[in-house]
Amino acid sequence: MASSVSILDDAGRLGHVSRLTRVRGSGWWIWVALLAVIVLFAIAGNWIAPFEHTAQEPRAKFLRPLESSDAGFHLFGTDELGRDVFSKVIAGARLTVFIGVAATLIGASVGTALGMLAGYRGGWIDRIVMRLTEAQTAMPMFLIALLLISSLGPSVWNLIAILPTYIWPTFARLIRAETIRMRSSQFIEAAIALGCTTRTILWRHLFPNLGSRIGILAAISVGQVILAEAGLSFIGAGVQSPDVTWGLLISGGRKYLTVAWWPTVFPGVFAGITVFALNGLARRFTDVGRGV
Amino acid sequence: MTATLIEPTRGLGFGARRRRSRSRAQLVLRRIRDGAIVLFLVLTAIFLLGRLVGDPAESLAPIDATQEEVDQIRANLGLDRPLLTQAGEYYSGLVRGDMGESFVIARNQDALPLVLDRLGATMRLTLAGLLFSILLGVVTGIVAGVRPGSLFDRVGNFLALAGVSFPYFWFGQILILIVAVNLHWVSVLPDGGPKSYFLPGVTLGIHHGGRLFQLVRSATLDELGKSYVIVAESKGLGYYAVVMKHILRNVGLVVMTMVGWEYARMWGGTVFLVEFTFAWPGIGKLTTDAADFHDFNVIQAGVVVAGVFVVLSNLVVDLLATVVDKSAEAGT
Repeated sequence: MASSVSILDDAGRLGHVSRLTRVRGSGWWIWVALLAVIVLFAIAGNWIAPFEHTAQEPRAKFLRPLESSDAGFHLFGTDELGRDVFSKVIAGARLTVFIGVAATLIGASVGTALGMLAGYRGGWIDRIVMRLTEAQTAMPMFLIALLLISSLGPSVWNLIAILPTYIWPTFARLIRAETIRMRSSQFIEAAIALGCTTRTILWRHLFPNLGSRIGILAAISVGQVILAEAGLSFIGAGVQSPDVTWGLLISGGRKYLTVAWWPTVFPGVFAGITVFALNGLARRFTDVGRGV
Repeated sequence: MTATLIEPTRGLGFGARRRRSRSRAQLVLRRIRDGAIVLFLVLTAIFLLGRLVGDPAESLAPIDATQEEVDQIRANLGLDRPLLTQAGEYYSGLVRGDMGESFVIARNQDALPLVLDRLGATMRLTLAGLLFSILLGVVTGIVAGVRPGSLFDRVGNFLALAGVSFPYFWFGQILILIVAVNLHWVSVLPDGGPKSYFLPGVTLGIHHGGRLFQLVRSATLDELGKSYVIVAESKGLGYYAVVMKHILRNVGLVVMTMVGWEYARMWGGTVFLVEFTFAWPGIGKLTTDAADFHDFNVIQAGVVVAGVFVVLSNLVVDLLATVVDKSAEAGT
């Protein structure tokens, strides 16, 4: 892409393609700052939250945002039991981020391992892995998750087991393509010539070179998992009370939407901003994010 | 290990030279065969996951059920027999259109007709969603791709990224709140009239339109970077002439494929979540209701129908791409 941009630069009118890099180059620190705040909420939420997120205040139901009760100031208002919405949103960050990261770690490991193997070995392994990714992509995962959760019972661990299926095919396909591209490069040939075993080549030579790709894809995947989890929790097949995630909070506020918008809107804003920041940051670094 | 591996592409024209040796009929047959294999894998996965993971009988039984009662339910579901017998029944049932009976939400009615009754509602919603996705994503994507870095491009990029990043069912809630509750433009619950397609359609359009915008924009941008554009420009052809004559024609096929993929993704899940959000009487609503009561056969029938539609949509797109790609090649 870089070379074609410079060619286009000289081609007069098409030259402003190069401006693209400047658009991408600015403002990335905003995403980092936002994500840092979310991570801070996830790690140190207990100390940051102004209230206990389960603390009820019967005389202060449905306080609007920025209103105060006897107990104190409610930035995002209160819900149907007088619980502080801001504290609930902060409390929701922990499990949301945990599920997102845990499911991504599993999905990324499986996808990367299969992708490297398929790309490096080729042949029947490659064909099987590719067919599996196709089949996985063609699965109506939302309903399958519903089916599984219905017989397993909803729990955080079941979710973490199911959610990686949303993301591993993307890892497998991308890493496979990268592996095929690198397989014929000189450093791999040198490693083969030196008599390295396949495992050494994959793990010591190939894998470190895939690091940046995996990192970028992982950032996008955390966002995908957060959205998938939110959807499942929204229909009641995900996280169950007393656990809290943003998806569950959106679902909880749904019944009272006509009375009070804030218990529904704020958790969604936080989920959206988190995924937005992850996607924005990934796109800042490369184009792999497109189409995922 | 040095032999170059032929990468299977998804019919986006990269493999055109390699494919020229095969006839179009062969290619079409191969795509159908691939689709059939994927469909078989998907249906098998549904069967295995439903039986090996968790226990439908246990979750269907009331909490205070005795072991005998749970066994009775298991026998009724046919889950007490060997896995191979069940598999035989499952596949022959698929062929005969018999997917067992509902246990809870419509006692003793066949599960598949229950799902197929709702197929029309879901289908109409997916088409409305597709329409709004194209309206929101395709033309804007091309305009943004032709003028990268412009204000339109930057605003479009921002909105598209927001559209794919924020939970779409959350957007749906906000739309209900603003348009139905506060402005009273449409009723909150769907009444089946043309107006009731608006909010769920737009909700799908925000998500899939955002994705389409990004995909179409970068496809257009890629096309701009190709050497024939520079050749055309150097011949003195105006910028918009290049866009109209060459880029639109070449981007068209890619866009068609991407629109098809987005349609398949709706059947993969998004439409069902939107149905739940808007209480739309389709397959998603039926299956989420069935899940509340652990009505295994109904959920399974819903999953199978959704899976068939995902595979079918992908297959149709692939076939169209094969046919159009070939004729485009013959034309050049």
